[in-house]
Amino acid sequence: MSDTTILELHDLDLLLAEARHPATVAKLRKLGFEPSDPAPLERVRARLLAAVERRWVQHYVRALQRYGRGVVGMRERVCQGCFVTLPTSASPGVGESLTLCQSCGRILYWR
Amino acid sequence: MTTVAVHSVPDSSLFLPDLRLKRKESVLHEMACAAQRVRAVRDAEFLHETLLRRERWCPSAIGKGVAVPNARSLGVTEPRLILARAPRGVDWGAADGAAVHLVLLVLSPSEVGVEAHLERVMRATAITRSQRNRQKLLDAADAATVTLLLRELAT
Repeated sequence: MSDTTILELHDLDLLLAEARHPATVAKLRKLGFEPSDPAPLERVRARLLAAVERRWVQHYVRALQRYGRGVVGMRERVCQGCFVTLPTSASPGVGESLTLCQSCGRILYWR
Repeated sequence: MTTVAVHSVPDSSLFLPDLRLKRKESVLHEMACAAQRVRAVRDAEFLHETLLRRERWCPSAIGKGVAVPNARSLGVTEPRLILARAPRGVDWGAADGAAVHLVLLVLSPSEVGVEAHLERVMRATAITRSQRNRQKLLDAADAATVTLLLRELAT
């Protein structure tokens, strides 16, 4: 699995959260947009979820259920979910961009 | 085509004055690449995919020659407003059938809440609501003028 798959899943979940929320859809319509049925997005989500490595899926789903999102950015070694500063040793390996936050368990995207 | 970094309200922006692309997918890709060049976006391809998914669910053409594509994404490092002009028009599939000449791309990092993001989108749509404002943006000679206009129109 490339790291990008789980990032795509995360972005899609943000989009789906909007698509499933009637007030947000109403607001978009008021702005002049014409949101459609989110069913195709649900199908894409199922496909992405199936493509994500199993160990990441478990962490992702757990964090999503608990915090509302499964992946958060990492900036200057600070988890953007729980704002705990992680040690240098928590950095991802060469060529990788994902680790787990040792404090909150969210998947961290190092950028 | 030139890309000019612009510091405008409410955040630093980008201005692509003369896009000659014909497809909305290409325009979105070009804008994502422009954002990556100034490090507002980490991975243009990833953001492009997110923009296309949103576009399929909620087409961003709002009529009268304007499109306001937008995204909250892990690939975005800081909030950005990117303005592109397409003098020849782009077929964006707008409900009114009009070709799009003005594209305002609103980008927010994923940490930004949906309400705050939609507020930024709302500001972008509000700017282009009047014919007078749209014409001003289309006629602006350079990035500095666009910056001043955006500042003026957003207040």
